[in-house]
Amino acid sequence: MTRELLIFDKGYNAVKNNFTPKMDIERVDFDSILPKSLQRNEEINIPDVPEFEIVRHYVSLAQKNYGVDSGIYPLGSCTMKYNPRINEVTARLPGFLKVHPLQEENEGSIELLYNLGQSLCEICGMDAFTLNPAAGAQGELTGILIIKKYFEMKGIKKDKIIVPDSAHGTNPATSVMAGFSIIEIKSDESGELPLDQLEFAMKGGDVAGLMLTNPNTVGVFDRNIEKITEIVHKYGGLCYYDGANLNPIMGITKPGEMGFDIIHLNLHKTFSTPHGGGGPGAGPVGVKQDLIKYLPCPQIIKNESGLVCVEDEGSSIGRIRSFWGNFGVLVRAYTYILALGKNGIRKAAQNAVLNANYIKTQIQHKYSIPYDRINMHEFLVDAHLPNGVNSEDVAKGLLDRGIHAPTIYFPLIIHEAMLIEPTETENKRELDKFIKALLEIYEEAEKNHEHLKKGPYNTVIGRLDATLAARRPHLRD
Amino acid sequence: MDYVPHDLETIRIMLEKIGVENLDDLYVDIPNNLKIKALNLPEGLPESDLLKNLTELSEKNHIYKTSFLGAGSYYHYIPSLVDSIISQSQFFTSYTPYQAEISQGMLQSIYEYQSAISRLTEMDVTNASMYDCASALAEAATMAFFVTKKKKILLIEGIHPEYIETVQTYCWGRSIEAEIIPLDELDKKITDEIAGVLIQSPNFFGDIEDINQIAKKIRSKSNKCLLIQAMSDPTCLGQLNPPGKIDVDIFVSEGLGMHPSFGGPNLGILSVKKKYMRKMPGRLVGLTKELHGEKEGYVLTLQAREQHIRREKALSNICSNQGLTMIASLVYLISLGKTGLKDVAMQNFQKANHVKQAISQISGYKILNTKPTYNEFMVKCPNIDKLIKMCKDENILPPLRLSHYFPNRKDEILICVTELNSKEDMIKFIHIAKEAAQ
Repeated sequence: MTRELLIFDKGYNAVKNNFTPKMDIERVDFDSILPKSLQRNEEINIPDVPEFEIVRHYVSLAQKNYGVDSGIYPLGSCTMKYNPRINEVTARLPGFLKVHPLQEENEGSIELLYNLGQSLCEICGMDAFTLNPAAGAQGELTGILIIKKYFEMKGIKKDKIIVPDSAHGTNPATSVMAGFSIIEIKSDESGELPLDQLEFAMKGGDVAGLMLTNPNTVGVFDRNIEKITEIVHKYGGLCYYDGANLNPIMGITKPGEMGFDIIHLNLHKTFSTPHGGGGPGAGPVGVKQDLIKYLPCPQIIKNESGLVCVEDEGSSIGRIRSFWGNFGVLVRAYTYILALGKNGIRKAAQNAVLNANYIKTQIQHKYSIPYDRINMHEFLVDAHLPNGVNSEDVAKGLLDRGIHAPTIYFPLIIHEAMLIEPTETENKRELDKFIKALLEIYEEAEKNHEHLKKGPYNTVIGRLDATLAARRPHLRD
Repeated sequence: MDYVPHDLETIRIMLEKIGVENLDDLYVDIPNNLKIKALNLPEGLPESDLLKNLTELSEKNHIYKTSFLGAGSYYHYIPSLVDSIISQSQFFTSYTPYQAEISQGMLQSIYEYQSAISRLTEMDVTNASMYDCASALAEAATMAFFVTKKKKILLIEGIHPEYIETVQTYCWGRSIEAEIIPLDELDKKITDEIAGVLIQSPNFFGDIEDINQIAKKIRSKSNKCLLIQAMSDPTCLGQLNPPGKIDVDIFVSEGLGMHPSFGGPNLGILSVKKKYMRKMPGRLVGLTKELHGEKEGYVLTLQAREQHIRREKALSNICSNQGLTMIASLVYLISLGKTGLKDVAMQNFQKANHVKQAISQISGYKILNTKPTYNEFMVKCPNIDKLIKMCKDENILPPLRLSHYFPNRKDEILICVTELNSKEDMIKFIHIAKEAAQ
């Protein structure tokens, strides 16, 4: 078997690099600082590699990786839009990069956090935001813990959360982390939440809230949204908005207007901060007035003396991570909002919807679209192609054509799900290239499906054996 | 400015293909009463104005010439190649490597990170999924619950106050009891009903604990209870006995090679013994081979633990893969290599010790640590306000007032000294300490 060399294979016996400052004080006997029993007594098994080899090694690895900069990255529910370069510059300004989280002279950071929170309130129709959560999933946890605290403080026992079957897996997982159990409601034939089932579930009296993504994960806007939030409120529940899909509606409508009480956002999706190979992101949480007191600490508020930082005053859910959140990510998102402004934000949303619907109309004569309405930023395909070609095969066929695949096998309600989200930053040429590739793959499924099933061929490596990886875990060198 | 490429003609053509007249027609499903006219935000800015605006804002933060502040966020020298490599666009503009065949670069990097941290810590299995040390510790506490099915954990005093609060939040969520105890009560508190003991070393106050002895104590009382060690600054592992050699079950820490950036982003290191691998939250990368060939490659693996498969039965909701901060940590470790890592740790030990000894000689000051320390130690001061003011006047970021976290400890500070503090910085600081005592 062959594999690429690891960085550990590129070590030398002699010391190669010299990064640390010159030792400028006299050393004392180390045993007098740290007793021998607490000292490391074996060599660290990390080689000394010359700087240039390290750079080459990782540049070569980067070249074996597909990013948004390589081409369309139509991962549904992930909003892989262009990452503006100015964001990278502002996040690295020395005044932001080198500021210590515990230093007192932090006026610039605090002002930025406050301004960003206010902008997000305006975009979402909320009254306050916490920027502390480090990721969407941590934002969800924060939001659901707020629901838990709300009922605990009121002395009301409600221990269930409603989650539609089309929801992201994080929704049920998060609810359980906050001590709730799940009621799953099956979406109807148009992909929306059936009101009668919602009302039936709420009538039980033990439901604390509903978690909903709107537009949902099949890419359609739930037309009954006002009725949905009204029903939940009627029975004393709270409505939680999973902001993974905010991109197509920002500047058009607001979750707060729809009746949601709590929302989390994924700044790495909607607000253009880099996905960074899966992180770091940021998952701010917004709430309506009544819930502000439950937000995690610390918070920034504005009073007569200006902006002040407040810790827990007894009703907060507590702290969810150290310090102020992923500040560097927040700087990028703030830069993006300032760049777009009120019109740019709306334009981004409209064009995300335009691009998704354009692709859909160009492939629907070949690909089955189970929820066929005017979609929002993404649409779902049921990829049952001729001769048993499935969504994984289509995905690999795309890779062979130098294009990243859409999200496959999510949402779970469609067997051969393929969720396509082009985002607003793709030009028509790139969309047409993607459309052409999908149509070619369809043709290949008809004429030469065996070839398709064994792909990809043009990538640095062929289709990998995931079963073997799980059966015999080999997780380190 | 915006980043939408289409001109009006292109939009018209696309709308025509869709079969609608204008962009607003795409929003037929949104009830009209929910639609807004315009956002109450300013007009967008060109890039040059953005840069000016943000630069001015950033300059409202004061950046000191040198620092004696740590307390969970540390200044270390970061080799230039770290930022160069995390700025490779295919790294930072990619997502979680779902499509393995075009993501081998990120996948191999994660595998190398898993290996490098496991080598440094001598632990068996490491992932790159956690946000920071605080939430990684909270996930570790939850993990102890999943392993033992016991709903109580013990936190040993001396854990970073923000980590403790984070653990308490997560534990409250799952109704796990979290009790804080002093180390000397551990003996009588350990039973088979305890899921895990959480301890930090070096702890918040700088003390290096004898983890090996603590492990023996726990094992003598319970064969179930897990030992979980947290560490704020893993550079000490260049010289300190690693957790894998002292019977730690779960190790958590913070990433390397990143600037403080007001506290984030960073990375939570999570390393475990092999027997707990399947109870570990977060993404893992494994080596495998081609289905139709002989080449070896990497994929995301053991996904049956995770939320997108297990939903409400998942071990955690975590789905991030802290790719970029992971690469920063990896490149930092490899750039320094074993020689540099030992050197950095030694310099931190020696320089902090140098300042500690000097301060201890000044009348009025008292070193409060009785155990060995790494790059931080706590001191009782005769005139804390004067000391802090004098530091700032000399453009030195002063040590932490312990009263920030412990309101009663009004005259105590936590001093941090790293390899970045030059001899002159130390002389100046010691001089200030002397002056402040007058």
